[in-house]
Amino acid sequence: MTISTPQRGYRVVDAIRAGEAVAPEVHKAARTDDPVLEVHGFSLWYGKSRALHAVDMAVHRGKVTAIVGPSGCGKSTLLRSVNRLNDLVDGVRTDGDILLNGSPVYGSGVDVITLRKRLGMVFQKPNPFPMSIRDNVVYPLVIDGERRRKVLNEAAERALTAAALWDEVKDRLRESALGLSGGQQQRLCIARAVVADPEVLLLDEPCSALDPVATLRIEELIHQIASRYTVLIVTHNMQQATRVSDFTAFMYLGRLVEYGPTAAVFQSPHLPETEDYVTGRFG
Amino acid sequence: MIVKRRTPQSASGEPIVWVFGLALVASLAAIVVLIGMIVVRASESFWVRPIEQLTLADGSQRLGSVVRREVGEGGVSRTLYQVGNRDLGQGSFTWIADREVEGVSRPAQAVMLERSAWGVWFGLPTRIVRLTEGGAEPLGEGDTFWAEFERQHAEAIERERAIEALDEGELADVNREREAWRLRIADVRRRASESGGPAPLPVWAWGVAVLAACGAGAGAVAVRRVGGARAWRLALAVLAFLAVGFVAIEAPWVRRAPSAAEVAAVQAEAEKALATLDAEAASVEARIKAIEAEDAKYRVEVVDPLTGRFAPESLSSPDVPMRVSQVVRVVRANELSFGEKLRVLGARWWEFLSPEPREANSEGGVFPVIFGTVALTILLSLAVVPLGVVAALYLREYAKQGLMTSVLRVAVNNLAGVPSVVYGVFGLGFFCYAVGGYVDTGPAEPLPRLPWWGLVAAMAVIMAAALTLGAGVVRGPGRRGWGAGLCWSAAVVLLIVVVMKTPYFDGFFATRAAEGSPTFGARGILWASLTLALLTLPVVIVATEEAIAAVPRSMREGSYGCGATKWQTVRRVVIPGALPGIMTGAILAMARGAGEVAPLMLVGAAKHASELPVSTDPPYLHLDRTFMHLGYHIFDLGYMSQDLEATRPLVWTTTLLLIAIVLILNSIAIAVRGRLRGRLVSAAV
Ligand SMILES: Nc1ncnc2c1ncn2[C@@H]1O[C@H](COP(=O)(O)OP(=O)(O)OP(=O)(O)O)[C@@H](O)[C@H]1O
Ligand SMILES: [Mg+2]
Repeated sequence: MTISTPQRGYRVVDAIRAGEAVAPEVHKAARTDDPVLEVHGFSLWYGKSRALHAVDMAVHRGKVTAIVGPSGCGKSTLLRSVNRLNDLVDGVRTDGDILLNGSPVYGSGVDVITLRKRLGMVFQKPNPFPMSIRDNVVYPLVIDGERRRKVLNEAAERALTAAALWDEVKDRLRESALGLSGGQQQRLCIARAVVADPEVLLLDEPCSALDPVATLRIEELIHQIASRYTVLIVTHNMQQATRVSDFTAFMYLGRLVEYGPTAAVFQSPHLPETEDYVTGRFG
Repeated sequence: MIVKRRTPQSASGEPIVWVFGLALVASLAAIVVLIGMIVVRASESFWVRPIEQLTLADGSQRLGSVVRREVGEGGVSRTLYQVGNRDLGQGSFTWIADREVEGVSRPAQAVMLERSAWGVWFGLPTRIVRLTEGGAEPLGEGDTFWAEFERQHAEAIERERAIEALDEGELADVNREREAWRLRIADVRRRASESGGPAPLPVWAWGVAVLAACGAGAGAVAVRRVGGARAWRLALAVLAFLAVGFVAIEAPWVRRAPSAAEVAAVQAEAEKALATLDAEAASVEARIKAIEAEDAKYRVEVVDPLTGRFAPESLSSPDVPMRVSQVVRVVRANELSFGEKLRVLGARWWEFLSPEPREANSEGGVFPVIFGTVALTILLSLAVVPLGVVAALYLREYAKQGLMTSVLRVAVNNLAGVPSVVYGVFGLGFFCYAVGGYVDTGPAEPLPRLPWWGLVAAMAVIMAAALTLGAGVVRGPGRRGWGAGLCWSAAVVLLIVVVMKTPYFDGFFATRAAEGSPTFGARGILWASLTLALLTLPVVIVATEEAIAAVPRSMREGSYGCGATKWQTVRRVVIPGALPGIMTGAILAMARGAGEVAPLMLVGAAKHASELPVSTDPPYLHLDRTFMHLGYHIFDLGYMSQDLEATRPLVWTTTLLLIAIVLILNSIAIAVRGRLRGRLVSAAV
């Protein structure tokens, strides 16, 4: 886990390693009265192994929040907990709750299908469906019962424009989406995620399968759509986090370690472990 | 320090690669030899062979054409000649030892007559005559023979066509109508004599039922108004529904048998109609007779040099020369140029492909056979693909993976190993007799009225329960209650029992079945295709399962992430993604089904089926009919024929045809799959 021996003692990380409960370091500026997402003491188990340990976090409305942390620390798990995709995995158990605009995500009466329609998700690997480009983009609307051709076409154009893909594909909307390049496919997935106007956009390492140019385009894109949507993005790329996000959360072994404005987290972190992680000396 | 050794021969796999290559070559060679032999044999079958005139040691003369030569026992070389002329009491093929032959010539005027009956006739044409009151007036002889023959033959064909048109057109129509009227009488008589189902309810009992139905309906409406518990509302609605159904089915005017007066009325009407129809038939028959009488006047004499007899009209009248219309084709084998031989070859192939078979399949065309094969294959695909895909979807997507699904999978795979004739036995017993019998005459042992309605009520209640239990199910993907599943299974079982035991259904074709000619309760193309569908089901299920499993998890998660339900994900993402694989399964199933013969012999293939399963008279698609099939036809030609030498060439041509048809059907399916793949092609990510 360590690439260079730590020079200082790590208060929080050492406690986490020892299995003790420690409060995360949350910057004052990261607190908000009007969060889009509130994670309340949320824990998750895959069978016997625990992937999240009572995570508490509030996501700011209309901002881009990045989640960073070493591999296997539970970033994807946290993201997939928001739209309950983990329900699909056998043997998953949860505790605590997440509130999406005040309404609980977990709980007995929740309609998971409706919940997922309020969120948009983009995965690490582009996953277009085996259908035409247009049908891919309007898929969330179609499964919601929208059948009017005109509405669908307009929505497709809007979403593709938002995803900076319209000019490239406007002449081949009827062709299979599987024929697009990797970067185009990922932008298509972003278009699909925003077409139904989600309350939060969940991005799980959206650029990890892309070359630098495509990555840059996606980052620009995140900038543009950030004005309209709340974005929660998982990334391994520290530069990317500084470039696109307003807030950054640092996770370690299933726990939140430090959470604050991106500038503060990267330039004057409260914890030495965070500083070592973001500068690449630890993790 | 590590010593680097030279890469040994075995590491590069050199010898093994050679073995692989040899194996591939061996398989390819086997296929090429098989196909090549079929193609060569089939293409020489219809080629025109020269006619040889032999002068034998005893001085007799014979006409015939060489089939093949061989060296028999004791080093005697001999030749198989096709000599035809079966009406003279000789075999149409005969071995002649070479040393018995004194002279061979190829007379220019020798012909081979292909006749509409009794096979071929070798001989020397002498003259064409027209029979008159007093005797025979010669029309063409010597130099004028061929010109006259062409003219007369064309006319004879015209007459044949006219007769055929009358026979299959007007006469067939009239006969169909006659049959319809006859059935109507039989039907009304049967219904009048036997009480179909339970005796009608007494009127007072029915009145009580009407009152009860009204009560239940009113109750249901009232509870709905008041807003009682959901379960109550549902129960009352079910009860009201059942009561209305009971009242409707048991209504006195529905359950009444036809009275004697009604029977008499139908009979009178039918007799009037039949009288007109009989007159019509008689007039058509008279017209046919007239044409036949004209046809009988024109005769052609072709003389066999051995006996000096001409080809007779029939065995019973050996002294009357054959009619011109009995000639299918005259092959002047020794005078034909190469181009003309090609023409004859084409004509023979055309005759082989287009019309119906004659003479116990040994002559004529195989069109109905081709049609039957293609129809069967299409029907079987229509049956097996939806069934297999749905079963595989359930097995892979919905069923909880565990011991149960593993056992099921093994069972399905084992089904593929059951000998196909077993499927035939099953198909005959289950489809033809059980299901078909039910369709024809209704349940053999229906339940009495009360227990049956009890079952219906139980089924309705259980279905309602399943609906209520299942209501909570739709929400989460992959979470289903046991209760609902159990209820649905029970409801389905009950539904089957209810349908099987209903006292109210006495079959769609009871009258004909009572006359001893079942419609669906016998062998037929529908049951044959369903039997083959069962046989090929494992192929489709396995292929579909694999295709579904190959749809990446990320695609499904993407769909769920958009807020799709499980069903929407399956329908819009999983099935399209798996479609090329599913098509592969369908192609394999088709190829297997088209080549299957053994089960067909039991469930519907016929040596001769006079009517196609598709026709221009209603209901257009006659799935109850038997059909002809190329695979069975090959068996029939090769093993059941009276004259093996005569049908041997047909075995090859028919085999070629079967292979060609399977190839064409497969190519179509593969082309469709290719287009699908083209739409779904994935660029490297
Ligand atoms: N489906 C699963 N079943 C069992 N354990 C899982 C499953 N998915 C993840 N885990 C475990 O949960 C922990 C957190 O995994 P998660 O995928 O959230 O990590 P991550 O932070 O996204 O890592 P990475 O940066 O490599 O994507 C890991 O220890 C992982 O092994
Ligand atoms: Mg991850």
